[in-house]
Amino acid sequence: MQRASVYVHFPWCLTKCPYCDFVSYATERPAVPHAAYADAVIRELRARAESFQTKEIASIFFGGGTPSLWEPAELGRVLAAIRDALGCAPQVEVTVECNPTSLDRARADALASVGVNRLSIGTQSLKQEQLSFLGRLHNPQGALDAVTDALASNIARVSTDLIFGLPEQSADDARAQALALADLGLRHLSCYQLTIEPGTRFGELARRGRLPLADDGRVADAFLAIDEALAARGLVHYEISNYAAPGEEARHNLGYWRGEEYLGLGCGAYGFVRNELGGVRWRNEIDPARYLERAGWGSMSEEPLDAETLLRERIMLGLRLATGFDLEAAAADLGVVAWTDERSREADKMLKSQRLIREGAILRIPNKAWLFTDDTAARLF
Amino acid sequence: MSIPQSHIRNFSIIAHIDHGKSTLADRILEVTGAVSSREAREQFLDKMDIERERGITIKAQNVRLKYVAKDGQVYQLNLIDTPGHVDFNYEVSRSLSACEGAILVVDSTQGVEAQTLANVYLALDQGLEILPVLNKVDLPSSDVEKTKEQIEQVIGLDCADAVSCSGKTGVGVADILEQIVLKVPPPRGNPEGNLRALIFDTWYDAYRGAMVMVRVLDGCIKRGDKIRFMVTKTEYEVTEIGSFQPFAVALEEIGAGEVGFIAANIRSVHDTKVGDTITHALPSRQSTDALPGFKDVKPMVFAGIFPTDSSDYPALRDALEKLHLNDAAFNFEPDSSEALGFGFRCGFLGLLHMEIIQERLEREFNLDLITTAPSVVYQVYKTDGTQVRVDNPAKLPLAQYVERIEEPYVKMAIHVPTDYVGAVLSLCQDKRGSQIDLKYASQDRVIIIYELPFGEVLFDFHDKLKSVSRGYASMDYEVIGYKPGQLVKVDIMVNGEPLDALSIIVHKDRAYHRGRGLSEKLKEFVPQQQYEVAIQAAIGGKIIARETVRALRKDVTAKCYGGDISRKRKLLEKQKEGKKRMKQVGSVEIPQEAFLAILKVDS
Repeated sequence: MQRASVYVHFPWCLTKCPYCDFVSYATERPAVPHAAYADAVIRELRARAESFQTKEIASIFFGGGTPSLWEPAELGRVLAAIRDALGCAPQVEVTVECNPTSLDRARADALASVGVNRLSIGTQSLKQEQLSFLGRLHNPQGALDAVTDALASNIARVSTDLIFGLPEQSADDARAQALALADLGLRHLSCYQLTIEPGTRFGELARRGRLPLADDGRVADAFLAIDEALAARGLVHYEISNYAAPGEEARHNLGYWRGEEYLGLGCGAYGFVRNELGGVRWRNEIDPARYLERAGWGSMSEEPLDAETLLRERIMLGLRLATGFDLEAAAADLGVVAWTDERSREADKMLKSQRLIREGAILRIPNKAWLFTDDTAARLF
Repeated sequence: MSIPQSHIRNFSIIAHIDHGKSTLADRILEVTGAVSSREAREQFLDKMDIERERGITIKAQNVRLKYVAKDGQVYQLNLIDTPGHVDFNYEVSRSLSACEGAILVVDSTQGVEAQTLANVYLALDQGLEILPVLNKVDLPSSDVEKTKEQIEQVIGLDCADAVSCSGKTGVGVADILEQIVLKVPPPRGNPEGNLRALIFDTWYDAYRGAMVMVRVLDGCIKRGDKIRFMVTKTEYEVTEIGSFQPFAVALEEIGAGEVGFIAANIRSVHDTKVGDTITHALPSRQSTDALPGFKDVKPMVFAGIFPTDSSDYPALRDALEKLHLNDAAFNFEPDSSEALGFGFRCGFLGLLHMEIIQERLEREFNLDLITTAPSVVYQVYKTDGTQVRVDNPAKLPLAQYVERIEEPYVKMAIHVPTDYVGAVLSLCQDKRGSQIDLKYASQDRVIIIYELPFGEVLFDFHDKLKSVSRGYASMDYEVIGYKPGQLVKVDIMVNGEPLDALSIIVHKDRAYHRGRGLSEKLKEFVPQQQYEVAIQAAIGGKIIARETVRALRKDVTAKCYGGDISRKRKLLEKQKEGKKRMKQVGSVEIPQEAFLAILKVDS
């Protein structure tokens, strides 16, 4: 059976962070329509379930926004509906993204009791001035408490996010924070370099030249320092921004990087399904009020993807993984040619310069060339 | 035709650029009824879009007008338009050779300018009757008396009868037409003689083949005649005859003294040489006495033209061939550059000519081009006693084989208000000029004559002149010959690999400044690579400037999950497209934009 996953988007946060380009609206917790939103997501699930009924659901992910703001009972109702409508794997991974301000031991246990088995906590930094710069509501102690509580709770697996590459941040500082988190006993860690996206407050400030920016060289040094430090703690750098103890990789994200299908539910969610022409990526309505009204009545936009485009995505995503990907298998799966003349030529050049490694049909990028993954992928497009 | 030679007047309008020549021509067309106001649009004779947009005339046009003079008689006036810019002097002399008279338009708000004088000399060379007119009298700053005085003093033309006119309002236009009838002599050919017609323009028509514009001196050309081109020695049967009135009108014949065009299924433009004489093919009606023709115009400015996308090379060649049919004054030959791939080395009459060709290639043929920095032709005397012409800095022999280099010089005439004389003189000195003369055209205007290296004039002289004189100075120049100069070649290197397309030949005192400027500019456009890139300017083996592009440390997307995938994929697709337009120089990739930006720099 084909593996697939379900993504549920929760579009509200207590505040909007200046770097965030996800669909999220700042709101007070009492103003969130907990039950109505669950109803709408379930309505959409019923409308979309059909094309996923033959698949095995390996992961269900509640992302946002801040889905830990959602009443656990309502989140649980949605989760139950998904289990009910689709065939889930016995060990299905069920993740909820949390912010330290809306997570404590009780909340973690409440989520565990409705079937959640993995939490991803948005720590981002353990330094107050960095948290303030990033517009986060919690303080360093709050972040540490949230992670400790989660680890002590009935939730089986816990991950946290760290942002590095802040202006003036040294590689040593980034390394020290990654180690501090690892030493709490976490077996999964995501370390993201700060990215300035258009359409965010940081993006706007940067466009006007009013945002202090980190030096590229320092960011690269931080990337390498974290890689080295976490490897020493037994956390494998299995994807560009992700580290895990063996077997603790995020199954949900591995699905994305392997080009698997995903059922996107909720306001602003993306979904992807394959068809005879290649596939379609759709996006849901991004306005919560309208989503509540129209859930189940189709997408806001749809992007048809032909097989060649999907192969380019497989290349882009597959090269993000330490284990790389099987280009020939991907091409065969999609029914297109793996090695065009141009792609062979480009690959040869990069094999020679050790930007790329080829082991049988597997292509992967060696650690030291990871910093140039975009360029490598683009050349193989 | 019913009009006898005595009632034909062939005339041109000559003027400094912007003195209102084309507008006056429009008014003449209107007054004679050749163009109804419905058809009238500004600058009627300027057919090419570029001409109207830039407000200049590039290709000479001509039009036959019917005019009923005050004496009640019908006259045929052939107005032959001329370009005003110095680059197109050769077109002016060709046009003038088809005339007996010229209207000299002088802007009465500006007075005599450099090209006014240059054009008058061309007209005098042809022995034309010159009728000065004072234009733009509708403007408040017009000073007719002062302008007349200037014309009399500087040029030596009698202005007693000079008409005051306005191309804008039409004032005086009727008087100008009367003067043409009264003062311009009729043509003096022999209508009964053997055919002799001068080709003064050619162009290519997709349906009719090569077309020729002629002025018949003796005899006449009829439809169906077998004609012979005396220089190219080819023969054709005339299929169509006509004249522009101003729209093309078919005629049965072109008689002595008249102007018109001929189509004769001429497939090759090489058979239609401007300046050639047409006669009858029949020996009994053939003339053996060819007309003097024209000096071949030699391109003075050279530049490489390369397609941005190398697969456009054949399209560029086709486009150049087609343009060449319309404009024989530029030439081209295949060229290749390590940095830019395959293209053409093209010769032009001047910078404006170069810009216009480039623009026409891009506009009419939809090509994306890179044009290299323009260069003059250097005479290089080698140590082995041989001499080579170098029109491309990349081709300059190595310094150890060069005994000396000579560069072309121009004699530059600059007309400028006295207030700016100091600034203009220091500009000329700065450009390595030597002063030949300085005289007063009037109390407040000065004519400055300098000899200057043509290469310096090419570089940015005109812009600088306009800027130091706040736009009040005008210039005109002619090439006078070669003089030795302390010239060196500056190469630009990227990680040790020379970028041949960016090499320049420059005076040694300026080498450092120019080399540094080029390196700095290039640095702005070379994207960071995964290693440090050194950009150097060098003379021979000696590095005179260096810039460093720091190594790129990272090129990786941090987050790539469900919703990001399309967006990131599109970004990488764009990144891939960008790479396709990069030129690989050694191990360094340089975007096309870098070449474009650098070759555009003028400082």
